[in-house]
Amino acid sequence: MTTKESVIKRLAIAFCMMMIVTAFGGCLGEGKTPEKKTILRAGFAWPTYIDPAEGSDYSSSTALCNLYDPLVFPTETEIKPWVAKNWDVSSDGKVWTFYINEGIKFHSGRELTAKDVAFSMERLLTIGRGFSYIYAPYIKSSNAVDKYTVKFTLDKPFGPFLSSLVRLYIVDKEEVLSHIKTPGAYGEYGDFAMEWLLTHDAGSGPYKVKDVKLEEYVYMERFKDYWKEMVSNAPDEMRLLALASPPTERTLLMNRELEISSQWLPEEILRSVDRIEGIDVASIPAGGSLYLMMHTKKSPLDDIHVRKAISYAFDYETVVRYIFPGSPSAKGPIPSIILGWSSDVPVYYQDLAKAEEELKASKYWPGITKHPENYQIELHWCAEVPAEEKVAVVFAECMEKIGLITSVVKTPWLKMVEEMGDQETSPHIVVVYVSSHYPEAGSILESKYHSKSALSWEQNEWLLSDEIDMMIEDALSTIDQEARFAKYGEIQWKIMELCPTLMVCEQTMKFAYQTYVKWPAGEGIYIPVMGYAIDGRRIQILPH
Amino acid sequence: MKLSTYVIKRAGYAIFTLIGLSIFVFVLARVLPGDPARMAAGPRAPSWVVEQLREQLWLDKPIYTQYFYWLKDIIHGDLGYSIYTRRSVTQDVIEYLPASIQLIILAGIFEVIGALILGVMAGRYSYKWPDNLTRFISYIGISVPAFVWAIIFQLLFTWVMPIFPTSGMFSPLMIPPPEITGMSTLDALITGRFDAFVDVLWHMVLPALALCLGGMAQDARIIRAGMVENQEKDYIAMATSHGLPERLVTSKYLLKPSIVPAVTVMGMDVASLLGNAFLVEIVFMWPGFSKYGINVMLSKDLNAIVAVVLIMGLIFAIANIIVDVIVIHLDPRIGGK
Repeated sequence: MTTKESVIKRLAIAFCMMMIVTAFGGCLGEGKTPEKKTILRAGFAWPTYIDPAEGSDYSSSTALCNLYDPLVFPTETEIKPWVAKNWDVSSDGKVWTFYINEGIKFHSGRELTAKDVAFSMERLLTIGRGFSYIYAPYIKSSNAVDKYTVKFTLDKPFGPFLSSLVRLYIVDKEEVLSHIKTPGAYGEYGDFAMEWLLTHDAGSGPYKVKDVKLEEYVYMERFKDYWKEMVSNAPDEMRLLALASPPTERTLLMNRELEISSQWLPEEILRSVDRIEGIDVASIPAGGSLYLMMHTKKSPLDDIHVRKAISYAFDYETVVRYIFPGSPSAKGPIPSIILGWSSDVPVYYQDLAKAEEELKASKYWPGITKHPENYQIELHWCAEVPAEEKVAVVFAECMEKIGLITSVVKTPWLKMVEEMGDQETSPHIVVVYVSSHYPEAGSILESKYHSKSALSWEQNEWLLSDEIDMMIEDALSTIDQEARFAKYGEIQWKIMELCPTLMVCEQTMKFAYQTYVKWPAGEGIYIPVMGYAIDGRRIQILPH
Repeated sequence: MKLSTYVIKRAGYAIFTLIGLSIFVFVLARVLPGDPARMAAGPRAPSWVVEQLREQLWLDKPIYTQYFYWLKDIIHGDLGYSIYTRRSVTQDVIEYLPASIQLIILAGIFEVIGALILGVMAGRYSYKWPDNLTRFISYIGISVPAFVWAIIFQLLFTWVMPIFPTSGMFSPLMIPPPEITGMSTLDALITGRFDAFVDVLWHMVLPALALCLGGMAQDARIIRAGMVENQEKDYIAMATSHGLPERLVTSKYLLKPSIVPAVTVMGMDVASLLGNAFLVEIVFMWPGFSKYGINVMLSKDLNAIVAVVLIMGLIFAIANIIVDVIVIHLDPRIGGK
C-alpha cells in the first residue's frame, strides 16, 4: 500500500469513528443533566423584540409580559392594581396620579420607583415605536411627584387610559442609562440602550433574560426575588422559540420537546396531534376579527344597499364551520371578548331574498345584475394567509347567487398595505384580521372607522364620516366607564347601520399543548390582551 | 499560464462580477413594493418616526446617492443597519454565517464521500445490480427536494427511532462553548469542550444529510458516466493487460479522469447549498444564514438583502476558483489551455 493510500484509508477510518462517536456520544451528551429544571417551551413566529419601546407583536408582547411589570394588570373581566396600588384622576380627566407599591425589586436589585415609571413613558414616546402610538396623541408630560407617586398629564381626556396602561412596561432607569451607546439618534441619551435591550432586560417581571439569539430564541429564567406571588410549579425557565415549520413543531410536540405550539399550526396538524395522548388543543380568542372591508367610496359599494345585499348574501356558516372551525361568528364590529362590546347590535346573516331586495333598492339596479361585468367587485386576499383564499372563494360563490361578479386577487401583504394607503388604489374589498391594541372597544373603533386611521391597513372602508369621528372621539374622552361603554354601543349600532364591513368571524388562536402543563388559557380562562395568554405567573408544569 | 496568475486573473473578474451584482440587487430591492421604513417602525408609528428611519437608511436620497453611501460603508467593513434585527448587518453576518458554513462543510463531506462510493460502484459494475441500485438511489435523491428529506429524516430518526436530536444546535441542557470563531464545532474544540463538539456534530448529521442527498446523487451519476466512458479507453485496456490490480486501475487510472466533470459540479453544489439550505434550516431550527436571508427578504430589509446576496455571490466566486484549481491539478492539460 502506498503512503497516499494509507493516509486516505486512515482518514476514512477516522471519519467513520467520528460519526460513530457522534451518534453514541450525542446520546450520552443529552443524558447530562446538571440540574433538574422545569422548562416551558413555546413556539412563536419571529422576530421577537424584548425592548418595551420596540416590541408590539404577539411574541414580543408575550416576552414583555413575563420580563416586565405594568402599572395595572388585566384580568378576564377588568383591570386590577399591580405596580400601582391605587390611583386618582382629576375631574377633567387630564391628570392621572398613580401611587406605587413599595419594595418592588428590578432584576438588577434596585427598587422600582416613580422616576422609573416616568422615564419608561418618556423613553417610549421619544423612540416612538412599539406601543407608543397608544399614548402619543394624549400624553403631555409624566413626572415623579415623589419616590412612590407618578403623575401623567394628558393633552385631552382619554377614557381608556387605565386599560391602555397594561402596555406600559416599566424599565429600570439606571440600568438603561448605564447601557446607552453614544452617539445615537436620541441626543444625550445616545441610542437609549436600544441595542443592549435587544438581548437584555431591565425589568422587574417574574422572569429575567438568560440568553437571547435574535433569530432563534429568548431564554428566560425565574427571578427569585419577584415581588408578587406566583402559582406553585411555575416553570423555572421559559423558552420562546422561533418556529416556522409545522412538521417540526409536530415532531417536537410528539417528543415532548415543546410544551405549547405556535398559533400557526394548520388544522390537519392540530387534528393529528390532538389524537396523541398527552396533547390537547386549546382555542383562545385573539381579541380580533376577520373582516371583509368594503370601500364605501368606490362604485358600486358606495351604495349602502349594495353593501347590505353583499352582507345578506354571504355564507357565514360555511366559513365558521369548515374554514375556521372553532371560531365563533362575529357579533358586530367588536370581538365579543373585548370590554365595551355591545351584545345587542343586530348582525347580518345569510338571506338571499333580503339580499336581492336590497340590490333592487340600490341606484345601480337593474344594470348591476343585467351587466354585472360593468360592476365587477375586486376582492384582495393576503397571499401569506392561505385560509383567506377559501373565504374569498366562498364570497365569490355567494355573490354569483345574486348576480354579482367577483374578481379574486391574491395579493402579497406588502403590496396590500401599499394599496390600502391610498383611496384610489384601495380595492373594493380586502380580507384582513384586525385586533384591538388595548382591551377596549375604543381601540378597534378608532383604528377601523376614524378618519385619521384611513391610510392604515386596518381600514379599507374609507368611511371618512365626521359624525362617526365625533362619536368615537366623544367616547374616548369619556372617563366614566359605564358612560363610555354606552357610547361604544351607540357607535357599534351606527356602524352596523352603515354596513361598511362584512364581519366574518372572531379570530381564534389554536395551540397544541402538553397536558402536563396546567395552562389557564387552555382551560378557557383567558385574558383578552395580546401576549398575556402565556404568562409564567399563572402556568404550572405538573410532574410528568 | 502560471497557476498564481490564473487565480489572480479569476479573482479580478470575480470583483467586477460582485460589483455588478451589488448594483443589480441594490436597485432591485429598492423597486419592490413596500416601504421598509414603515415596516420597521410598525403600522401605527407616527410619521416622524418613519421619516427618522428613512433618513437613517438614506431612503430620502436618490438611489445613486444611496449606493454611494452604501459603498463607502462597505469599504469600512460596515454592511449597514438591519431593520429586521435592529442592529448592524455585519454583526448578523458574523453570527449566522459560521453556523451555515459548518453545516455546509459537513454536507459537502457527506456529498463527496457518498458520490465517490456510489459513482465508483456504479461505474465499475456498470449494467449490473450495483449500478441499478445506484441508479435507483440517484433518481430518488435527485427528485426528492432537500426539505422533504429533512422532514422524513426528522420523523424517522427523532420520532420512530429516536437516535438523533429533533432540532437546534445544542441539547437543551448543554452549555454552549464561548464564541470565538462563531463556528460552534471549532469553538468547542478550541476550548477543549469535547462534549459540546460531539453534541453539535450530533445535531448536524440529519440536516447535513438532508442537504447533500440531491447533489450526491447527481455527482454519482456524473462519475459513473465518466467511468463507463473511460473504461473503453486503450490505456485502461493496457493497464489491465499488464496485470495491474483491479483496485489500482480503478482508483488511479479510471477514477482520476472520470472525476473531473464531477468536481466542477461538486464545487458549485457545495456553494449552492448555502442558498438551498433555507428550508432545511427551518425544519431543523438551525440558526443559519440561509434562514436569515429569507427572513430579511420578507421584511424588505434592504441592507441585509444586499449583504446576503453579495456574500452568496462571493462564496460562489471563491468556490469557482477553488474548483478550477482542483480541476487543473487533476488534469494539467486544462491549465495549459
